[in-house]
Amino acid sequence: MMKAIETKDLTKIYGGHLKAVDALNIDVEEGEIYGLLGPNGAGKTTTIKMLTTSTPPTSGTAKVAGYDIIRESLKVRREIGVVPQDLTADEDLKGYENLMMVSQFYDIPTAKARETIERLLGLVDLKEAADRYVRGYSGGMRKRLELIIGLVHDPKILFLDEPTLGLDVTTRSQMWDYVRQIQEKLNVTIILTSHYLEEVDALADRISIIDHGKVLVTGTSNELKAKLKGDIIQMTFRTQGDEDTIKKYPNFIEIKDNGPNSVRMKVQNSDEELPDIIKYISENKLAVTKMTVQKPSLDEVFLEYTGKDIRVEESPGDFRKTMFNMRRVRK
Amino acid sequence: MSGLGPLTARDLKKWYRNPVSLTTGLIQPFFWLALFGYAFSKLGAIDPAAIDYAPSYITFLLGGVLTIIGLFTAMFSGVNIIFDRRLGPLSRFLMSPIHRSSIVFAKIISAMVRILVQVGIIILAALILPNGLIFAHGFTVEGALVIVTAVVLVAFIFSSMFSIIAVRITRPDTIFGILNLVNLPLLFTSYAMFPPALMAGWLSTVAQYNPVSWSAESIRTVILNGTMLTAAQGSQLLTWLGGLALLAVVMLLIVYFVSEKEIRE
Ligand SMILES: Nc1ncnc2c1ncn2[C@@H]1O[C@H](COP(=O)(O)OP(=O)(O)OP(=O)(O)O)[C@@H](O)[C@H]1O
Ligand SMILES: [Mg+2]
Repeated sequence: MMKAIETKDLTKIYGGHLKAVDALNIDVEEGEIYGLLGPNGAGKTTTIKMLTTSTPPTSGTAKVAGYDIIRESLKVRREIGVVPQDLTADEDLKGYENLMMVSQFYDIPTAKARETIERLLGLVDLKEAADRYVRGYSGGMRKRLELIIGLVHDPKILFLDEPTLGLDVTTRSQMWDYVRQIQEKLNVTIILTSHYLEEVDALADRISIIDHGKVLVTGTSNELKAKLKGDIIQMTFRTQGDEDTIKKYPNFIEIKDNGPNSVRMKVQNSDEELPDIIKYISENKLAVTKMTVQKPSLDEVFLEYTGKDIRVEESPGDFRKTMFNMRRVRK
Repeated sequence: MSGLGPLTARDLKKWYRNPVSLTTGLIQPFFWLALFGYAFSKLGAIDPAAIDYAPSYITFLLGGVLTIIGLFTAMFSGVNIIFDRRLGPLSRFLMSPIHRSSIVFAKIISAMVRILVQVGIIILAALILPNGLIFAHGFTVEGALVIVTAVVLVAFIFSSMFSIIAVRITRPDTIFGILNLVNLPLLFTSYAMFPPALMAGWLSTVAQYNPVSWSAESIRTVILNGTMLTAAQGSQLLTWLGGLALLAVVMLLIVYFVSEKEIRE
């Protein structure tokens, strides 16, 4: 079967030295939702821009829907839908007019375009607002409009660059529902970028974690978590002596001090190990004051591969950028 | 040329829906005529020969005013490319399977449509104004064609020129700077406002090569003389229009090749 997307050492260097994307190799299967997860400045948008033929790569190449992004860029553009990170709708037109204009870019006959637009408006609950000017839309409505502008021509592949950036938590999970419905009902391959772990975890079949323009690891969410090899059990004891005793427990992968009288124990499988640990505790009459079990989450995966916590990633400069994006969304 | 239709329609829709731009566009021609027409006619000292024995100063001036309207509207047509880049729509156009030159040609065509509407209104205004436009030798279809051709060509030439500059500029203030630098010099080194007889010798020489003069003089010729021209007048008219047409073709090629290759986010 043909791959939806195949990149070969895709590289983008800005201004001669800034390597935004560094010999990137990814394969996206037809029909899947593929997530690119990475902190601000990781090169996600640059990757999307190259794959959608908005920016030429400095070196390397890629095939999208079977077409070369450099030599057959016009064919690529016909097959793909794009929802970029920044908004593209014309504020001085109505929602419907924006959709119709983009339909005409693809030479879709008017009757068919009308039908498609009606269906898409229904899909994201924008029917009511279709005849209003976009300048009067809320941030969430704008994002929903952008989402379906990328779908007016029944694309085979849909690119979503940070589809929920700047949205509140409820609106965000609503967007996830729309994305799932799009994938099920319209049968498109989706490539999604995000720096929200929950987002790729909730939506993507496969995930690549990227940073500094490079893929660090690829797999399903469960595979990535499994690679961490083990669950974490945190325990706090009343005395130092008890803590020393737990360290003599025979069956763990690793155990570390974690604050006063506390330990962080990594075990193969907490479900199986926990009864034994509890037995060990009661046999040795240890006084436990607190005990928590942590199954690995993408947070830990991310930490493991990038060496940083995604949540504290935003430096002051990036924060400004995010604020700018939010302003663009809300304006 | 895919994308040209919807993009032009978009620009025109935004134009006629914006009450301010529409009204100022309609009022502006009256301003031009009233200000320049009366300002100069009250000088009283103009030798009738200097204005080619035109029955009124407005009649003489009209060719210039129509050309200036075309010039100024055309020059600003590219500015919206920069705003489209800033506000996002341009990236949508660039990721769509349309010819990239359509993005620029849509601006040029919509500018020409707007200009023609203004030209129609300005001619009506000139006819209505007291001491206004008088067609001493009648007004024919051929005469109207000459006027439209001259204005359309000037509009095309200058909107192409400034749209193509806008293709590579990311800041609106840059293009406003360039516009302000060239608009008045273009105007005052032409026969648009002043009869050749009133111009300093060297300026008159420069004005002969200014396409703004070619358009103004072509229109003036048919307004003052109707279409029954002498052989000399006829060949002069063809030279001016031919020069404009040639420039327009050159601009068309430049716009096509530059925008297909160079337009980007
Ligand atoms: N047009 C450009 N010119 C110069 N440098 C750029 C350009 N676009 C992006 N960069 C740089 O390339 C790097 C990758 O940027 P990119 O926008 O691809 O990151 P991202 O992963 O999408 O980040 P974010 O999560 O903030 O959207 C950054 O260091 C950025 O500053
Ligand atoms: Mg980005």
